[in-house]
Amino acid sequence: MKSLISFAVLLFAAVSHAISSSGDRLLVVLEDVAEKETYSKFLGDLEGRGFQINYETPKSEGLSLFHLGERSYDHVLFLPTKSKGLGPNLTPKLLLDFINADGNILLALSASQSAPTSLVSLLLELDIHLPPDRQGLVVDHFNYDVSSAAEKHDVLLLPAPGSLRPDVKDFFSPAVEGGLIAFPNGMGQTLGAGALLAPVLRAPPTAYSYNPKEQGETLDDVFASGAQLSLVTTVQARNSARFTVVGSADLLSDKWFDAKVKKVGEKKEVSTVNREFAKRVAGWTFKETGVLRVNWIEHHLNEPGQSNASNPKIYRIKNDVTYSISLSEYSWDKYIPFTVPESDDLQLEFSMLSPFHRLQLTPTISSADSTTYSTSFKLPDQHGIFNFKVNYKRPFYSNVEEKNTVSVRHFAHDEWPRSFVISGAWPWIAGIVATVTGWLGFCAIWLYSKPATGKESKKTQ
Amino acid sequence: MAPKKSAAAPTSTATSAAAPAPTTAAPASSTIAKPTSSSGQSFDKVALNIVQHYQKTTPQRTKIIDVFMAFLVLVGGLQFAYCVLAGNYPFNAFLSGFSATVGQFVLTASLRIQTTEANKSDFPSVSPERAFTDYVVGSLILHFFCVNFIN
Repeated sequence: MKSLISFAVLLFAAVSHAISSSGDRLLVVLEDVAEKETYSKFLGDLEGRGFQINYETPKSEGLSLFHLGERSYDHVLFLPTKSKGLGPNLTPKLLLDFINADGNILLALSASQSAPTSLVSLLLELDIHLPPDRQGLVVDHFNYDVSSAAEKHDVLLLPAPGSLRPDVKDFFSPAVEGGLIAFPNGMGQTLGAGALLAPVLRAPPTAYSYNPKEQGETLDDVFASGAQLSLVTTVQARNSARFTVVGSADLLSDKWFDAKVKKVGEKKEVSTVNREFAKRVAGWTFKETGVLRVNWIEHHLNEPGQSNASNPKIYRIKNDVTYSISLSEYSWDKYIPFTVPESDDLQLEFSMLSPFHRLQLTPTISSADSTTYSTSFKLPDQHGIFNFKVNYKRPFYSNVEEKNTVSVRHFAHDEWPRSFVISGAWPWIAGIVATVTGWLGFCAIWLYSKPATGKESKKTQ
Repeated sequence: MAPKKSAAAPTSTATSAAAPAPTTAAPASSTIAKPTSSSGQSFDKVALNIVQHYQKTTPQRTKIIDVFMAFLVLVGGLQFAYCVLAGNYPFNAFLSGFSATVGQFVLTASLRIQTTEANKSDFPSVSPERAFTDYVVGSLILHFFCVNFIN
């Protein structure tokens, strides 16, 4: 059955041109369907990558994320809407259910339109906080675009974000060297301490967020400033469903794709890399990149002269065992061999409640679309029910948590080394031999010796 | 212990053994009564006296038993000393080797008790032949267990 499904998936992947690893049905929610012209390049790119796009407004009657308990769409893109709420079809609970059902959401905010309450509640649920009154504008007096925002300083020009940590792969930086990302008219977010949150683009140290309606003249209470402000935030749920908040919807608009900008203090005009950045953010969110697949897992006995059948149910303590796992990574339109980022490790745990071994897996076999990682080790001197566990959860990579349960039995009574094999036991073997031969000799002498004369004399008496 | 035993022996057992007993006992008690004389000499005499008494009064078979028990103590002591000096791995080998000698010692001691003339009244139904048969069976079971356990 499993092979049949994977065959079908392979066939599907081969036939379709270039598509997300988790489906191609995309719902775009916007204020007015005519508004899609503003984002025609971005949406055109998505269509060109194979997405089937449906456009809906929050008010439309037939809008439903689920049909008969199944998802109607694989991905949802929210563009800014004017309405305060999103209506009964897009409540926070429905959106959470959508995430729980492996649906992906890309949310674009804007400073000019306050965020719908439904989405604010959803963001709070995910520990992402928006400015009070659902309104805020990010400005930076040191990194703005001179040509378009000389007065308001609300078009931020940012370099490519780079990787989050040295051991995390960089999925979002455009390949163009020295390109600037224009972040116009955006709303920043602050993040809680949730482990599932990962910021992609942080504000520069001189940026801050304020409410242009209330704090137009004096600024006494700043919502957040500097790197506290996350401009593009991602959440990857435990089921690897993805949720991304882009602080500025204008970042995705045609106007800022390949626009010419001039950073304050610099003479040369450069073109923005928004198109490439938007493609990477959307591609990651809609599971076109950073998706890991476990092809197969195999473990066997690694001892000379013993059966090396695959995946036995039972091992013995102190057996030598080899474990292998084959991994692929989805990259835009095909699976490629997964390579662990430098300074990161893929590890195998051999655990019963707690790990008895935590071992580094090293690449052994590499094919066109997969890499096999394996390790060999000696099972611990402890019998019980154990798991081979690979728990690889990293920012931006989909979660890998694989558990294979095996029993580990103790030595059978005839599997111990015989005492005469162990030289340390020879004195005690000699002791038994001496006792037994001594006893035999004693018995012989006892039987040979006549009963004492005393007995005879006693009998006569 | 020894003087008490020797004192008890002549009263209860054979007349042949009783005759020399008082003659040897008398000088021993007389030497002990003089504390001023050289004590080393007196201890020598006591020991010699005990040995002589043992050699004269003990039946042949009991002597064999005693020799065998001394042999077992020696073998057991050597095994224990080896365990202390060289470590107890493999432990089952130490256990079976050492307990073979200890068990054999206990069984032999039982045989000695059952076949001593002085204890005859305690075991009215156990003849020496019966005691020896029990001893052989018990020893065989012991050896079987020990050889099995040493693996």
